[in-house]
Amino acid sequence: MLSKVLSYGLCGIDGFLVTIETDMVGGIPHIDMVGLGDTAVKESKDRVKSAIRNSGFQFPIKHFTINLAPADTKKEGPHYELGMAIGILSASEQIINKKYKDFIFIGELSLDGTIKKVKGVLPILISARSAGFKKVIIPSDNCEEAKFIDGMEIYAVSNLLQTVKFLNEEITLSKLETRSFEDVSKQNTNKLDFENVKGQAMAKRALEIAAAGGHNVLMIGPPGSGKSMLAKCFSGILPDLTFEEALQVTKIHSIAGELDLKKGIITERPFRTPHTTATVVSMTGGGNHSKPGEISLAHNGVLFLDEFPEYSRNLIETLRQPLEDGTITVARANQTVTYPSSFTLIASMNPCPCGNYGAKDRECRCTPAQIHKYLSKISGPIMDRIDIHVEVDNISYQDLNNETNEENSESIKTRVDKARNIQLNRFKNTKTFSNAKMSVPQMKKYCKLSKECQELMENAFSRLKLSARAHDRILRVARTIADLEGEIDILPRHIFEAISYRGLDRKYWD
Amino acid sequence: MKEIEKLLVLFSICEIANKKQEIIAEQIGDLSVEQALNNKVILENLSTEEYQKVVKNYNKQSFDSMLNNMENSGIEIVTIFSDKYPKILKELDDRPLILYAKGDLSLCDQKCFAIVGTRSPTNYGRIITERFAKNLAQCGLVIVSGLCYGIDAIAHKATIDAGGKTIAVIASGFNNIYPASNTNLADEISEKGLILSEYPPSFKAKPYTFPRRNRIVAGLSDGILIPEAGLKSGTVYTKDYALDYGKDVFAVPGNIDSKTSELTNQLIRYGHAECTLSSDDIIDFYGLNKISKEKKMQLVSLDEQTIINLLENGQQDFDFLHENSKIPVNILNSCLTTMEIRGLIRKLPGKMFALI
Repeated sequence: MLSKVLSYGLCGIDGFLVTIETDMVGGIPHIDMVGLGDTAVKESKDRVKSAIRNSGFQFPIKHFTINLAPADTKKEGPHYELGMAIGILSASEQIINKKYKDFIFIGELSLDGTIKKVKGVLPILISARSAGFKKVIIPSDNCEEAKFIDGMEIYAVSNLLQTVKFLNEEITLSKLETRSFEDVSKQNTNKLDFENVKGQAMAKRALEIAAAGGHNVLMIGPPGSGKSMLAKCFSGILPDLTFEEALQVTKIHSIAGELDLKKGIITERPFRTPHTTATVVSMTGGGNHSKPGEISLAHNGVLFLDEFPEYSRNLIETLRQPLEDGTITVARANQTVTYPSSFTLIASMNPCPCGNYGAKDRECRCTPAQIHKYLSKISGPIMDRIDIHVEVDNISYQDLNNETNEENSESIKTRVDKARNIQLNRFKNTKTFSNAKMSVPQMKKYCKLSKECQELMENAFSRLKLSARAHDRILRVARTIADLEGEIDILPRHIFEAISYRGLDRKYWD
Repeated sequence: MKEIEKLLVLFSICEIANKKQEIIAEQIGDLSVEQALNNKVILENLSTEEYQKVVKNYNKQSFDSMLNNMENSGIEIVTIFSDKYPKILKELDDRPLILYAKGDLSLCDQKCFAIVGTRSPTNYGRIITERFAKNLAQCGLVIVSGLCYGIDAIAHKATIDAGGKTIAVIASGFNNIYPASNTNLADEISEKGLILSEYPPSFKAKPYTFPRRNRIVAGLSDGILIPEAGLKSGTVYTKDYALDYGKDVFAVPGNIDSKTSELTNQLIRYGHAECTLSSDDIIDFYGLNKISKEKKMQLVSLDEQTIINLLENGQQDFDFLHENSKIPVNILNSCLTTMEIRGLIRKLPGKMFALI
């Protein structure tokens, strides 16, 4: 007997249809598994065999050939096992009802027949829905992430016996109820608030602009000046994730197996802080299975690189493509995968190897050549992609104990949201979402300068010895500052403020 | 070019000591280079190794083409036998016999004044160097320095910004500017001022060439100003040369705890240097015409006036200005940038601001 069961595989963040064909013939009892499966797939046959027996079914003493079609695509992971078990049971006519043909089966089997959670359910469901499939059976442990998919009949099952009974219409299961994203996202709790950060007015303002326009930020300051603290507060003033964004983020986390299964969907913008010893592959993604790396996990969120120059040069250079395109393409012998990686980069660094260059209360012991070498670890092209440089310095003890109330993240966020809405309107029907990602034609259109502004800009360039690459960055930041104020035109004061965030282009570091 | 001058170029390439050059140049008379190389004056005065080096380096054809190349890249060779040789250097007993120059040589004959100091200045040093250089340059002094990191570079830049003239004396050849990060500055100076070196273009700076360079800095100038320098600074040499040559030495007092003000404070204590509190002290000393105060005054807004008042007692950081001026961050930020563009204040590392 021959049976065909549908399942789904994963390639990058997209799913593809896999047909599990099971053929049962007489001969020496054996299971042949074909269709370019990896070790986990090859080992599935033993789990499937035990699970079928331990669920009270018969495992026929026959020769089975199981084919995973399409045969030319590599398949990974144990989530085809439920489909295989259904295939064997229907080939051996233990499932009589033909209803199973409409379903997509996803699940890993335990030897006792329990169905275990798998990675990547959300991306599979999204792909299946857009391919027009309606009915899916998934492990009950994965049900939370599936609840955000509407327009599909999704059933969550916990063991093989239950599944077969359901397919044979001996029992009924109710399909998963959908949940609304708004309910879940309201539960967001932000741990760090800007009201806990004393002083640092300039850095806070810079981060507000960065959040409003999606600009990358470099913070420069001596050790212990609160750079990391500021960065951690940053995700609290970013606009809330929209449902579409949340799905993208959840997809990537689901594939990487980093999803909180109880919550099911990620409602807060990711904040990733890879260590300075991180390897290039761990950042970009890759490995045998082309898993997403840190920069993809930071998609729609923040990538915080503390002590920026301490990362390997190679690693810093790999950030170029994602910072420009918002995607990263990982090419491996097996497959080439493109992951989204549109994040806000927050980098922090000391101004010199000892860290005290320019500090008020401590003396720098570095030679000028050392300082120069340290600063030049960050290459020009990377610098080119960071819009805002801001200096952070230690705050005095008096400031630390100052009782004055600092503005809280909530009210900063209100302003950020307003500015973001202006941008969303501006870039309607384009692929751009924020000022930071404006293309050159868009800049020409939206960053028009009055004659007065142009003259001021020219004057500023010659007086402050700004480099040419600063020009576009200044315009983009000025656009965001104008948006924060709700101004339609860029005014001189916006430009001047934007210029003040180009510290490293300036020559005073010599 | 005279044959004797060619010989001096050859000597400078072979790193023959200045004193030996002087003796040979005095005695050799007008001989062609080939003849000179066989003359007993040279044989007597150079060691065997030095002589072999000179002979090995001399090949008439390649030597002439090298001279041509130098000329094409804008390098002028001035020897003690040339009319263009700076008169003020001629009187020194340790004068360089040969100078390579890029830029306007006539600057050497104007009133020159050196500003030298530490390579790693504090913000205090930065701001006073800039202020002094700017004011002195505007009074018509040619500012001389060594194109090094720190005070040197700031002095050069401030002079150029103020539209003044500057001379950089470097401790290396033109093709190996030290530090390399000042190469752009060097280009700018060669266009708008003058760069001098006693070393051939391909010469790389060596530890001993820096003090040697300092004697030219001191020699060219009527006086030297030390805004900030520590006891281990190379500025010590410049100061010693300046005192030897009978030049005026000015020093700006600094914080007694600051390592980078140890030299200046000591100079003042032992009376080796004039205690200098403002550029007017130097301007008065030389009897120069002061630029009128009114010219400095510019129209300022209310916010800008508040900031100026806050900065009157010295440099302050951004947070201090923010707290005490009560100006919102965004306005304050743009205000400070405008003021900097207009040359009222200067931004320093560590988000510090100071009046120029």
